[in-house]
Formats: sequence, structure tokens, C-alpha cells
Amino acid sequence: MKFQIEKDVFQDALNQVQHVVSNRTTLPILSNVLIRADELGLELSTTDLDVTITKRVSAKVSSTGATTLPARRLAGIVRELPASEIDFEVNADNAAAVRSGPSFFKILGLPASEFPVIGEFGEAREFTIDQKLLRDALRKTSYAISTDETRYVLNGVNCIIGEGMLTLVATDGRRLAMVEQDLEFPAGNETGVIIPTKAVNELQRLLDVSGELKVAISDNQASFELNGSLLITKLIEGNYPNFRQVIPAQANYRVTVEREVLLAAVRRVSLLANEKTNSIKFAFEDNRLAISANSPEIGEAEEVIDVRYTGPRLVVAFNPEFVMAPLRNLDQDEVFIDLIDESSPGVIKIDEPFLYVIMPMRVAG
Amino acid sequence: MHNHAPFDPDKHTNEPQLNQLWNNISHELRGSLGESAYDIWFSDFRLGSVSPEEIVMIAPGTMYAIWVEENFKNSLSSAFTKFLGACGRIRFEVNEAASSVFRAETDAAEGNGAGEIPARVVPRILVEKVSEQKLLERGRASGLVEIFRFGNFVPGENSELAWAAARAVADQPGKTYQPLFFHSSCGLGKTHLLHAIGWESLRQRPKSKIIFVTAEQFANDYIDAIQKNALVPFRKRYREADLLLIDDVQFLGRKEGLQREFFHTFNRLADQRKQIVLASDCPASEINELEERLVSRFQWGLGVEIHRPGLETRAAILRRKRDDWRMAVSDEVIDRIVERVRGNVRALEGALIRVAMVATLSDEPFSPEKVAEVIADICDGDESRQVGAEEIKRAVAEHYDIDVNIINGKKRTARIAEARQVAMFLVRSLTDLSLVEVASAFGKDHGTVIYAVKKIKKRCEDSAAFKSSVELIKRRLVRGGSPMESPRASRNSSNANPRLGHGAKPVDFEVE
Repeated sequence: MKFQIEKDVFQDALNQVQHVVSNRTTLPILSNVLIRADELGLELSTTDLDVTITKRVSAKVSSTGATTLPARRLAGIVRELPASEIDFEVNADNAAAVRSGPSFFKILGLPASEFPVIGEFGEAREFTIDQKLLRDALRKTSYAISTDETRYVLNGVNCIIGEGMLTLVATDGRRLAMVEQDLEFPAGNETGVIIPTKAVNELQRLLDVSGELKVAISDNQASFELNGSLLITKLIEGNYPNFRQVIPAQANYRVTVEREVLLAAVRRVSLLANEKTNSIKFAFEDNRLAISANSPEIGEAEEVIDVRYTGPRLVVAFNPEFVMAPLRNLDQDEVFIDLIDESSPGVIKIDEPFLYVIMPMRVAG
Repeated sequence: MHNHAPFDPDKHTNEPQLNQLWNNISHELRGSLGESAYDIWFSDFRLGSVSPEEIVMIAPGTMYAIWVEENFKNSLSSAFTKFLGACGRIRFEVNEAASSVFRAETDAAEGNGAGEIPARVVPRILVEKVSEQKLLERGRASGLVEIFRFGNFVPGENSELAWAAARAVADQPGKTYQPLFFHSSCGLGKTHLLHAIGWESLRQRPKSKIIFVTAEQFANDYIDAIQKNALVPFRKRYREADLLLIDDVQFLGRKEGLQREFFHTFNRLADQRKQIVLASDCPASEINELEERLVSRFQWGLGVEIHRPGLETRAAILRRKRDDWRMAVSDEVIDRIVERVRGNVRALEGALIRVAMVATLSDEPFSPEKVAEVIADICDGDESRQVGAEEIKRAVAEHYDIDVNIINGKKRTARIAEARQVAMFLVRSLTDLSLVEVASAFGKDHGTVIYAVKKIKKRCEDSAAFKSSVELIKRRLVRGGSPMESPRASRNSSNANPRLGHGAKPVDFEVE
């Protein structure tokens, strides 16, 4: 196998695929990137057996073939190469000779035949979605994914397609983020799948702000094809619990607040959040919101911001990180906080189909 | 742990009593959480069953169960503790048929099929009912011993982590810690936990294939299979297990062929996400001539050490045994026994049996004072000979060639201060005494002890010579009355982190 490729092109492609490579070296081949050269160019693939990413790039191939090379190491070398063109030559023993300007590297690889073959894709439903739509929806929900491995069905984003809508949900039992987007959809294709965290992260890396992507969903796998890349992932098996159970039906009070002002104030006050309870207090009263924190052995913080609120005085405690996470991932200037009372779940909303349920913490005293 | 009134496990199983209890708990929760939070989260919960080990709550939906567990576990367990005197593990089962507060709005949304999803996530409630007798037979066929259950394991501060890990693995085999690796010196409950995981797992999933063997049995089966040229059935048996429990894995040491076979068995099971639980008398890395690849696999999951039980735990264990065996032995007598026998649980049981027997043989009421006499030889044979503060002071004084009274005194020349600090350090690391108790033994305040322990530890790290002289005193002390001291026990004691007192023993916690 022999080919010549532009450094920048190769480096970008390696960066896109190398995150999948597993840190666990149970199977050495899984730390490698599969490089396949054909008449059209190169195909780079990495996998951890759950998530597989394949990326096509153009290259001048003078002799076709396939090999695998250690992905992270290769990416590190390519980044440092001095010239804009790289020459690759791989011999029958999977040793790659890499030349670029005055540099020469020899990298030992493993045979391509050892690289795991991604399981057959069964009968799948295929459709196309706007990249920006999916990108925004994932960004607004994925931070709420549970990391508790004992509740594995919650270790991903639940995607439901049906009723002319794309619904994305993530929750960890203390907060829940949901996006509902109108989506034109041929009837009979309703489906619900749970995309695991790692695939969600990789997908977010690949998604662009324009263009479309092709999605295929089978019983236990999903694939996403976009911008010359193909991501295949196993889906989380099991049923996502009925999340609507924890979304409060109606609120008694609504607070309207500027998102960035709130985010900045919470960030500052949280510096003195009580380490034991990890909570800060939100006191709503008379178009004002006083955010305060009190750490007995460290000190106190308070910041008052203007909001629109005319109800009675309400004092609610929240985990500041849980308040900041959605604020960071929204774009709107204004957000609404809907409250029932001091001990019921609060809901953050915007003027788009998004909601975020957050559990209050008990206020001491 | 041992001073709550033992309550009858059958007391809260019938419905009126469960309802009564739930009313009480509800009232408590309304008070602590507020009316509206109670209404939102708990109004449709019921109590399923209550036993000392486990409280089962029936939730109106999986998501309810998850949120309540995440957010209100502490409130729940303190409410239960208030009415029951103790609170076992709280487990949630789901009954989707129950109504819900938010249901009014969500009913419509759930009708579309995509939103409403049945509660298959909690598989336990779908467990088919299998008669106790069948379970017993299956358990015995799997190599499980009846008496070792979670219900009669007494977790204490020495075994909390092991206990929690065992429960997690029994509830979710293959999903939490893979493998789970227990290690401790003998008689501290490894085997008990292995069997208990097996039984609980069998109860929750009666159809799963569970195998309990000692590594020696595994070896014998393997040799047998080779001789009879029947490796295929052997491999089929072990490699198709859903839960493999292996005791005494240290036996694998030095046996290359066996290790190779076990390696493949391990890999196959791990690949298929079947649960493996191992127990050994030392950490994986210390098993003699165990192949590196096996060591690293054993270290993949969670390694937990079970420590020697503290005084309270020992007392709780013995009271439990006494109740199980229906012995007429007073709490006072038990307290005397646990003060004297500090080693493993088997030694404790032996002492209890001996005392109970002597008590029944004599006509006079058995006085606590006689305990010492009756079990004198058991105390001596106890491998973890415990030394007292005074004994340590004497040994240190002897080593530094000064008078014991000087150590207790106020002189602060370099040599005497050093001797005093070494003595404090040794008392702290070799005895169960708390910081305050150590301090009072030396007539100092506890800050001084903390400082001394830190300083000696630092010096041990900095100077090998100093360390070996401290070790020398320690060895003399530990050997003291019993020249039979095993090398492992002495190594363990020298590894113990002296800054941590009893109740906060260092724990091997290896999560990758």
C-alpha cells in the first residue's frame, strides 16, 4: 500500500476518528486506526466495538491495500510533521514508512484482517434530518445524561420519532432535559431508540451547522452518515422509562430572566456553595432574584439581579451546576423559570419547545 | 448497630400492618418534605414488604422510582429508622397501573405509543415465582451452602464496602463491578458473601446458571476432565455460567496450566458480561506466581478488602449468632468475649460455643468474670495478638533504653520525644484505641498524637534505617506471646496506614 496525502487533510480526519479509540487495551487492535486505500482515496476507521467511525478522505493512491496503525500515536506524529505533503508506504509486515520533507518515521502496525468487522446491519429505517436541528437538540439535552452505570437505560439520549415530532430526552433522576422539534415524517416510521453517551459525544463532534445527515435505525444499531463520515453505534437495549411522569403539569408562578445575567450570577455565587449540600438559594420577590450561598467555614455570597416576577416571596435551593448546565447550552436571551412552590420541581423553559425539570433541594431552616 | 431492639421479621408482612406503617411514614414525610412535595412524589407509593434486610416500595412508575430513589432516599430511610429502629436496604418495584398526579395531562401524550413505555427496566418484578424448595435445590446443585445468606451477614464498618458491592452485583450481575474481588485474611466473611451473592441472584433470576466452586475444585474438575479426555463438557459447564463464584483463588498460584484454562474461562465470561466474583486471602497482585495477565484482569473491576471487625461489629455478630442458635448467653458475657477474641469470626463463634457449653454444664449461673478463664486458650491462639498501650510503651522504652515513666513524663529532649512519638505511633497503628484514648494513655491531647503519628510516618518514608528500627519494635510486640505469627498478618499490620484509626481502615478500592 502506498499513497500521498496532504498533511492538513490527514490530520483533520485522524482527529475526527481518534476519540473512539478505547483507552483500555484489552484488545490492542482497538487502539489502532484501520487505513484502507482504494482508487478513490483513503478510508479511516476506528472502533471500540460499541461505536465505530469511518471517515473518507482524498489521497493520491499509487498502490491499494489496508493496514492498521496505532491511532493516537499516528495522530501525534502527523501533527508534528514539517511538510504539507506526507508519503506513506506500508510493507507486507504492516510496517509503515512515513516521509514528510526531511522527516522519516517507521511505525509498526497490525494486519487489517485482525480489525473487527462491524456487525451486519439488519433491516433499518432510513431518513434524513437537518444537521443543525439534531445538533441543537443534542446540545440542549445531552448534559443531563445519567452517568450511573447501574441505570444503564439512562446512559444515553432517548430519541423518539412520532406524532410529527422528534423528541429527545435525557435525565439522571435529579433533572431532566427535553427537546421536542416538529419534524415532517412519513407515517409508519415511528420509532424510539436510546443512543449511548459515547455515540452522542462523537456525533456532536461530527455535526455541522448546515447540511443534512442520513440516519438509519435497526433493532440494535443506528448509523449516521454526514460530511464524508459514517458513525455506527450499538443502541442501548431496554425501554426508556416514561419521562412524562416527572414533568409537572402546570406551574403557579413564572419568573422571566435574562439567561446570561443569570448564568454569570450563579457562576459567581456558586464559588461559595455549601460543600456539604452543594446548593445555593434563589429568593424570588418583587421583580428581584437574590441568589445566595453560605458555607459555614468559608463565607457567604449574594447577588441580586432584576427579573420579572410578581408572585409571593419564594425561596428555593438548587444545585448550581444543575442550573448552569442548561443555561450554558441554550442560545436564547430570555429564559423562564416556572415554579409551583418551594419544594416542588422547577421547570426552565424558553420560547422554543424545550424544557428542563430540576429538583429543588431542601432549604435548611 | 447492636443496640436496637431486634424486631420480628414477620411483623410487617400483612397488609393492614403495612398500611399502618406506611401511614406513619407518610405522616413523617409530609412533615419533613412538605405537603406538596409529598403529594407529587409519594401519594401513589405503597409498601410491598418489610423485613430487617429490605424494604420494598411499590412505585407508580419507573421514572417515579428513579427520582424518588435519587432525591429522597435519606428522608425515607430516616423515616423508616424512626418507626422500625433500623432501616434495611430500600428497593423499588414498579406497578405502572397505579394512578399518578401528573397523569391527567400525560395520559393523552402516552397514548401515542412512543411516549408511553412499559416498565421493563425493572426486571425484578417480572421474576417468575419459583417455590422456595425449588430454589433451595437449584442453589445446592450450584454448590451454594444454605446458611450463607445476606440476611445473616452482619455488615460492620470493616465490611461495609464489600457488603454494598456484593449487593450491587447480586442485583445487577455483569453490569457493575467486573470482576468483584474480595480479599481478607481467613474467617472474615468472604465465603459468606460469595454464597449470599449466589442465593440472592438465584432468588431474583431463578433461571440463571450459577456456579460456586473453590479454585481447588475447579482444578480437580480440570484435571479430571483432562484424564477422561472430556474437556468439552468441562468448558461448556464453566464458560456458560451466568454467575461464577470462585473461592480461594490464591490456589491458582504456581499452576500454569490451570491458570491458562482459567484465563480463557474468565475472558469468555467477561466478554459475555457474565458476572465473576472472586475471593482470595490476599490481593491479586500478591498471589504467588500468578500470571501478569490474570492479575491485571482480576484488577479490572472492584477489589475490596474485608477488614477485621471492630468491637461493636464483633458484638453484633455474636448476638446474631446467639439468637440464631438460641443460646442462653447474656449480652454482658458476649461483651466479655468480644473484648478478648479479636481475630476472625470463626474464633468468635468457637468462643461463644465454648462459653455456652460451659454455662449449660454448670448449675450455677454463668458470671461474666468466668469468660476469661473459659476461653483463655482461644485468646492466646488468636493470630492477631493485640497489644495494649502499656505494653507498647514498655517495649519502646526498652528499645530506647529509657525508663517507662520518662515516656509518660514531660521531658522533651530529642531522644525522649522521639521515643514518645514512636510509642504513640505504634499504639495508634497496633491497637483499636481512638485518637482521644491514645492521647489520654499518654496524658497528652489528641493533636499531639496526630502530629506524632504524622511525623513518624514521614520519617519512616524518608529513612529506611529509621523505618526498620520502628518495624523491629513492632515485630517484637506483635510476636510477643505468639511465635506462630504468620508472615501475612505481620505484613498487613506494617502496611496499615497509621493515620486511620479503627472505623476508617484503609480500603483497597480499585476501579478502572
